[in-house]
Amino acid sequence: MNSQQAVTIVMIEDDEGHARLIEKNIRRAGIYNPIKHFLDGTSALGFLYDAPDGPTHSGPALILLDLNLPDMSGTDILARIKGEGPLKRAPVVVLTTTDDKIEIQRCYDLGCNVYITKPVNYESFADAIRQLGLFLSVIQVPDVVED
Amino acid sequence: MQMTDRDEERIAEGRFGRTVVLLMSLGFFAILACGIAAAIAMLRSQDRYSWVAHTYEVERAVTGTRLAVEEMRSARRGIMLRMGPGMQDNYEAAVAALGNHVAEIRTLTRDNPEQQRNVVEMARRVARFDAMIRRSVGPDADLGPEAEEERQRAAAGVVGVSEKMLAEERRLLAEREGQLQFAIRLFFVVFTAAVIVLVVVAAGSILIIRRYTRELVKSRAALRLLNEDLEGAVRERTIDLQRANDEIQRFAYIVSHDLRSPLVNVLGFTGELEAANKVLGAQVERIESEAPELLSADAKLAAQEDLPEAIGFIRSSTQKMDRLINAILRLSREGRRSITPEPIDMTAMATGVADSLRHRSDELGAEIHVVAPLPELVSDRLAVEQILSNLTENAVKYLKPGRPGRIEIRGRREGLRVLIEVADNGRGIDPRDHDRVFDLFRRSGVQDQPGEGIGLAHVRALAYRIGGTIGVRSALGEGAVFTVNLPVKFNGEQGTLT
Repeated sequence: MNSQQAVTIVMIEDDEGHARLIEKNIRRAGIYNPIKHFLDGTSALGFLYDAPDGPTHSGPALILLDLNLPDMSGTDILARIKGEGPLKRAPVVVLTTTDDKIEIQRCYDLGCNVYITKPVNYESFADAIRQLGLFLSVIQVPDVVED
Repeated sequence: MQMTDRDEERIAEGRFGRTVVLLMSLGFFAILACGIAAAIAMLRSQDRYSWVAHTYEVERAVTGTRLAVEEMRSARRGIMLRMGPGMQDNYEAAVAALGNHVAEIRTLTRDNPEQQRNVVEMARRVARFDAMIRRSVGPDADLGPEAEEERQRAAAGVVGVSEKMLAEERRLLAEREGQLQFAIRLFFVVFTAAVIVLVVVAAGSILIIRRYTRELVKSRAALRLLNEDLEGAVRERTIDLQRANDEIQRFAYIVSHDLRSPLVNVLGFTGELEAANKVLGAQVERIESEAPELLSADAKLAAQEDLPEAIGFIRSSTQKMDRLINAILRLSREGRRSITPEPIDMTAMATGVADSLRHRSDELGAEIHVVAPLPELVSDRLAVEQILSNLTENAVKYLKPGRPGRIEIRGRREGLRVLIEVADNGRGIDPRDHDRVFDLFRRSGVQDQPGEGIGLAHVRALAYRIGGTIGVRSALGEGAVFTVNLPVKFNGEQGTLT
């Protein structure tokens, strides 16, 4: 397998406006990885675990996750990704409007890599994404893809 | 309805009381009558026994006179037959005994004129009989049968009088016996009547008391039921209140949370607009410098003034809205925080608050003075500290320009409450606004300080949360005194609700 495979950014965000803003800022930060956008948790999980071009079956992924989704709680998705499974090493950025300390703590406990509060200070958001971008470029292809 | 019930109850109670008193006095009178009758009967019977004894004594004395008469006659016979010199002495002794008996009878029957007459009669007859006998044994004695018969008659006369006296005594005794019988009969009649009255009274009392007790037991049971019901009702209401409170907290949280979502878009896209406008502005400038004839005045105005101005207003307004929503979010979060009472050293806490504001107060030339010692209390440390620091911060913030600030934190204990006061000599609050300043997003006076009108609303919510109240005394331009009234010992939320 090619270890230089491009990292897919999987964005799970129900608000189109937020999604657009995030995408713009990612692009502005000079990151040109493909972005897959999902408006709800069910379709996102379907892609993550079952789609033939999804991260389970091909290529690494970075997940941008909103906690307030129409069909399920974002923390449930986070717990599922970070629990036992093929995606437990995939980096997850939690994006939410809540700055509740307890919720932030909970997300970090569940294994989220970065927690960003909206409305975002776009400079710092871009910084975080850039760092993650650097991080992404050195990511190894997950082991699970070998079998 | 309740009023008439209570009235009925009171009337029933009064009736019960009156009936019991009546029955008891009836019983008391019955016993009293019984006692009086018994006393009368007793006195009568005692009287009777003394009279019986008296009668016997009289009888004995009377019998004594008859014996003495017999002895006098036998002594005379002895003298006549010259049986010995002692006979004359015997006679004299019998005469003396007779005299004694007569005297005794006289004394005993002093109360009875009939007997007194009899005694006089007897004494007369005794004297005559004695004279006769003495004559018969003398030298000129008439010993004929006529004289003998006369002596016999005189003796019989004495005995006859004694018989009469005895009969009189027996008659009196019988009469007294009759009186006693009457008294005893009276006693028994009264006694029987009293017993009947007592039995009736007792039965009536028992009946009434039983009925009353039954009613009491019934009403007590009803009361207990009501009481338990009340507790249940209070518990239910408390749960309802808690639920309603939770609902409001959740509502505030969700509303503020979900309101931020569209706001993110507004803020974000305003940023995009700004960025786009920068590009456009640069373009306009370039066109202006390179080909000014291509640029219309309208386009220049739009790019360089209208757009930045509009974007600026959108940005400042949405930022303010963001702050307000954050404030609501913080308040709702404060309402959800669990309260943990612990002993608080208020003096240390106030000193800490004053120290944390030292830098700012020094800058403004103000002085914060903690009047030690402050009373200690048991409450939620975070809440009390927040209240104290908010109030002190406000005092530092709203000083009167041109007057050196002096802020005092003091406290005292009043019964089960602790009053903490933060007093300043600042610009003061118009009395019309005293209630308003505690409302969310409301402020008072000159708006020259940053702030959203959240601090005091937050302080009041916190004070309520830990079972306290807050008030302010102030006049415009003359400083303000904020008084927080807290329980000495806060028992947690259960304590305030039940």
